[in-house]
Amino acid sequence: MIWNQLAGNLTQGLILGGVYGMATMGLSLIFGVLRVVNVGHGAFIMVGAFAALWLFTALGITPIVAIPIALIIGIALGFVFFYLVMKKLVGAPELTSLLATFAMGILLEEVVKLIFGTEYRGYNWDVGRVDLSVTVLPWAKIYAFLGSVAIAVLLYLWFNKTRAGTAVRSVVEDSEGARVCGVNVGWVYALSFAIGIGLTVASGVLLTMFIPVGINPYMGGPYTLKAFVIAVLGGLASPYGAFFGGLIFGLIENGSYTLFALLPGAEPFALTRFLSFVILLVILLIKPTGLLGAK
Amino acid sequence: MRLVKYYPLIPVYLGYLVLFLIGKTLPGMWQLMAMLSFYCAVGQAFNIFLGMTGYVDFGYVAFMALGTYGMALSIAHLYQIEWLGIGIIVIGFVLAILMSGLLSVAVGAVALRLRGAYFAIATIGVNEGFRYLIEGAKLWGGSEGIIFSKQLTEAFGRGVANKLSTFWADVFVLFIAAIAALVTLCFIRGKIGYALTALREDEEAAKVMGINVTKYKIIAFITSASFAGLIGATAWALKLTHVFPPEVFEISYTVECIIIVLLGGAGTLLGPIVGGLIYGLSKYWLTVIVPGFQLLIFAPIIILIIVAFPEGVVGMFKRRVRGTSLEKFVI
Repeated sequence: MIWNQLAGNLTQGLILGGVYGMATMGLSLIFGVLRVVNVGHGAFIMVGAFAALWLFTALGITPIVAIPIALIIGIALGFVFFYLVMKKLVGAPELTSLLATFAMGILLEEVVKLIFGTEYRGYNWDVGRVDLSVTVLPWAKIYAFLGSVAIAVLLYLWFNKTRAGTAVRSVVEDSEGARVCGVNVGWVYALSFAIGIGLTVASGVLLTMFIPVGINPYMGGPYTLKAFVIAVLGGLASPYGAFFGGLIFGLIENGSYTLFALLPGAEPFALTRFLSFVILLVILLIKPTGLLGAK
Repeated sequence: MRLVKYYPLIPVYLGYLVLFLIGKTLPGMWQLMAMLSFYCAVGQAFNIFLGMTGYVDFGYVAFMALGTYGMALSIAHLYQIEWLGIGIIVIGFVLAILMSGLLSVAVGAVALRLRGAYFAIATIGVNEGFRYLIEGAKLWGGSEGIIFSKQLTEAFGRGVANKLSTFWADVFVLFIAAIAALVTLCFIRGKIGYALTALREDEEAAKVMGINVTKYKIIAFITSASFAGLIGATAWALKLTHVFPPEVFEISYTVECIIIVLLGGAGTLLGPIVGGLIYGLSKYWLTVIVPGFQLLIFAPIIILIIVAFPEGVVGMFKRRVRGTSLEKFVI
């Protein structure tokens, strides 16, 4: 009985974990290139979720088509924020960049609140479901998972097969060295920030398949915190590390929930969160390069 | 005695005195003055660590939370012991220092090995982890928190209890801010100040010069955390007479502290009070003028300030008065 339940929850966790991973790749890309932690990360996810909601309810556009639209919105948003704010803060003390990204998050939340209000919203994209005997998965969630994998693969190809991607990798390795070799480092910063934000906004679309009535201007906070844990699992500066970190995190989150629910007199949801932060601290101390990273 | 060393405290203490007098004499101003002194106090406490070391503790509010719990536990458990009298409050303050101090020792020993963004993320993890531990393991009332207004009334009677939470709690905040300012000055003028300046500029170089950076970092961290605990114990526990985990572990309080320190000028003595006043007043006015939209207006202003004035008001002022007779009053 409990094993069936565990297997079911782990399957759900893996599916959700893929989306978590994709939702963290932007954070890792931005940290890897600019050395800036985007504390307003969750707000960009929220923007993607509202984009999906609005495209679906007002224009009837399915979430699959909404992904590239959200990606473009996000990239535009990323360029705007980079040239208005981040450009001057690259290389500045952490204090300023952390505060600036947090303020960006607040700004987005308040703008969305102004347009949509604070009530919880949601939409239902019903494309049937599949019965796996241990659990029932809606196709929408499977599409979200497949979408995440596809985006991760595309990012991998972009990094390894294109000139721009190679330039980005060279800046991650050594920005001074890249500059000496003729890489336009300023442009790489702008491009990476924009793509990082684009990925994050697009991931907001995918996440809406998991939260039927959870779309709200302030929904981003928990995702920011989860993204930190996931990014640290993957080594903080590596987008693929983040993707696998997301898979692991999804499994841990859902698996531990099942086990904590067996404890009498405890709140399993809060304990799951507690566990995730214990993992965060342990990894930061023992292996800050991430579970899959180099020594 | 070289009293000239203590001149920079004059503008700071004058500021706190004016806050107190305005609140006491002008009717209806006490609440606003209490809010302003709270912001000045957290700025002053946070500045000791953040301003002087340049390490960003994003989970700073956890120390305020533990201080709040210290006072709450003392009142909620000891209110029936009659001979303790006002000692309950004293025990509450001692517990607040002990709890926030102990957490800071634990965090400091572990997380202070990390730097920059890694340190910031680790401290967010400590803050959130602690909150969910309290909620998940149902520690100290779990997610329902502790409500102790009844116990406070029972221990001291209605009159004294009221006076405690509406008047003395705010006075204590000012008092703590004043002590924090004195400690800040001693740090800045002492050996530790030079060590921390060296550390903030270049940690590796400071190490090579033979400075025991770890020791000074931890001293600043524990001092700053203990003051945070004291502020939590009075401004949150005594004043509000309840404690809920989602309220006291709220990250936005940390961000407010960071804004205040940065606005006033990180690492300066006068910065936190200037930053606290500017932040508190503008937040208050925006709430009055455009209720509901204050954050919408505030966020871009914050971004603008970060980009345009990264050294803060006092930082700029300090450069202006260099070489004039005002110099010895401003650090």
